[in-house]
Amino acid sequence: MTTPARSSVSGHVPPARSARSALSDRQLGVLFLLPFVVVATLFVVYPAAESIRLAFYSKLPFRPRLTFVGLDNFRYLLDDPVFRAAALQAVVWTGASIVLQTVCGVAIALLLNQAVRGIHVFRGLLLFPYMVPTVVIALVWRWMFNPEFGIVNASLRATGLVARDIYWLSDPRWAMVSTILLNVWKFTPFVVICVLARLQSIPPELDEAAQVDGAGAWQRLRYITLPQLRTVLVVVIVFRTIWTFNKFEEIYLLTRGGPGTSTFNLAVYAFEQATANLRLGVAAATGVTMLTFLFAGSVLYLWLLRREDT
Amino acid sequence: MNRRQFLRSSAAAATLLKLPVAARAQGRSGTVRVWGEPGPYGGVAVEGMNEWAQKHAPGLKFTIETIPWSDVYPKLMTDLAAGRPAHCLSVESPIAFQLMAEGLLEPVDDLIDRIGRNRLIPGARWEYWGAWKGRQFVVPAHHQSHLLVVRTDALQQAGVTKSPAEWTWHDLLTAARAIKAKTKLFGLCFALGRTIATDYYVISLLHSAGGRMFDAANKFQVVFDSPAAVETFEFIAELFPTMPPGSVGYTFLDVVDSMATGQSGMVFYWGRVFGRAAEVNKEVFNAMEAYQHAAHPRTGKRLNWNDFQGWAIPRENNPYVREIKEALVYIMTSKEWPIRYVHSLVPNVSPVFQDVAQDPRLTAHPFFQTKRRTIFEYYTEALKHASNSGNELLQGINPLAGIVHGRGIIAQGVQQVIIDKRPAREAVKWVHQQLEGVRREHIRLVV
Repeated sequence: MTTPARSSVSGHVPPARSARSALSDRQLGVLFLLPFVVVATLFVVYPAAESIRLAFYSKLPFRPRLTFVGLDNFRYLLDDPVFRAAALQAVVWTGASIVLQTVCGVAIALLLNQAVRGIHVFRGLLLFPYMVPTVVIALVWRWMFNPEFGIVNASLRATGLVARDIYWLSDPRWAMVSTILLNVWKFTPFVVICVLARLQSIPPELDEAAQVDGAGAWQRLRYITLPQLRTVLVVVIVFRTIWTFNKFEEIYLLTRGGPGTSTFNLAVYAFEQATANLRLGVAAATGVTMLTFLFAGSVLYLWLLRREDT
Repeated sequence: MNRRQFLRSSAAAATLLKLPVAARAQGRSGTVRVWGEPGPYGGVAVEGMNEWAQKHAPGLKFTIETIPWSDVYPKLMTDLAAGRPAHCLSVESPIAFQLMAEGLLEPVDDLIDRIGRNRLIPGARWEYWGAWKGRQFVVPAHHQSHLLVVRTDALQQAGVTKSPAEWTWHDLLTAARAIKAKTKLFGLCFALGRTIATDYYVISLLHSAGGRMFDAANKFQVVFDSPAAVETFEFIAELFPTMPPGSVGYTFLDVVDSMATGQSGMVFYWGRVFGRAAEVNKEVFNAMEAYQHAAHPRTGKRLNWNDFQGWAIPRENNPYVREIKEALVYIMTSKEWPIRYVHSLVPNVSPVFQDVAQDPRLTAHPFFQTKRRTIFEYYTEALKHASNSGNELLQGINPLAGIVHGRGIIAQGVQQVIIDKRPAREAVKWVHQQLEGVRREHIRLVV
């Protein structure tokens, strides 16, 4: 059914007029936010609140009883040498991964920013590690890193770079290196995409003017390009730090935290406490500790952003 | 549509909607999820269950879900905690023992007489698969032991002439060193990763040395801290230089590959390694033979880790208990399915019923032509030296063992000696403390 008569009498009426008049802009905004609020409450706020509550209780799976234990779970963490080692290893794993991702990411982005024929093919290929599921990557890397018949050792031996096999996943030092390499390989493309996007928005006149003034390539990078990248790098580094610190699946799938507990980070530690040790309260306390670390990271991020704005 | 027509069609629609609900309530339709460890035998059993379903419950379909060993414990625990485990499980016996003591499994006493109370092979008892407080919770499927598997060509090249059947620990170490020194192979390989596999290897050595984790006869007191445990850890440390350095991260299938792909001269392994070698390297397969483990020089014991593996039925949120029981009785009393089950992985899956073991069709498998002695080492001889952590020295079921393996406590203890170079005595004390912790936290299960 149509209302041509009414339209012709009252003149042009925008189709959304009636809806707009019923709700203010503010109400409309709230309405649009509602789905997100519901989803976030269900899947983020509620689990987080439940984890915080559980951190103060002792709970064994299969048994309904929930016993309040105060700060005992946190005391357990502080007394557990594996937790302390996992926290330290998490810092090493995160720090090394972020530094390498940033350096490699900026370098690759600079290369991909060149006006070379067919560069878009390389830009497309770059996304490959980012697109492949982690479980696939981890399994492939396990084979590649196999000390006896993996391609990494075979290549190193064939090129004469090493005389003896490296036990990538079985030697505690190399196991950490392997997990970091996997993380760097997978997530450097994210840094590249962000940096490349920023590079392409830098006016070429800046670079050209510096060139006219006699600045060399290094000086242009140091004084023109990198300062322009600062904002995006701050965002990328803070985000990547939070995500990497929180990472579970790469380490678990590649080394399961081993050998021994040499590649445990806090996420793997929490998982082990929950599923292997059946200590749900301790696992929750680990989660709360991580949340605290990450909250501090987020505050830092917001503070840096605000400082940039002002 | 008039009012009468509307009411009639509404009633018909309601009936149609109710039908599947009623059928589900009776457990006569839907999908029955069955958990199995890696290997074809779980799939064969499920084929048998589906044959029963086609005859007696056509709306029902059994499906196999295969979980890698290293993931079995976390996956099972999270699924159980979430209240939706598979409807039927085939898991390692210590884990089944833990679940039955937790009250999570359906008793299966009603199946014993139907399957045949007196059918078990000599040396086996129903309780080995899972009985607790006088009730049976697990239906036997097979038994499987790890044994000493050697490459006879490697022993020959290394100049080892004494038969492995007569070895003591000293001879094993000497042979491993000789193979490492005189051939291109590693002397010995077993898993030393932080996994359940390592626990199974260490426990068998511990039992042979005269040690145990818990005393089942004395309120499950922890008795791990003993000279036997120290000796076991030190012996593994002595063996380690003959093993692939990567073995500190190995789990079950890494050991299989180490032998089957021609990396190691000897392994401790279940019969599966023969099937794998036959697939990937005939030369290795031809040279392989299995023996009972080397005897401990003082105790003379040559114990293995025998997994008395069976079928367990989680009781909560399980609408298919009756159908699973019927299907299990069907395949266990069938003439054909137990043979097919055993044939699916020779000699890994040892028969548990006398009539199956004596059935002439059993020896129709081609491996019997070349590996007959080895096969019977697994099928019958291994039972004489059977032990496992859930039933140490076959002296009493211990549900705490499942938790110990879930935490990889024994493996971590050994790793402290191998990786961190911690003295064996200290590592043993650490393991002892962890076991005390398990007992303290879960004492309600056993006392």
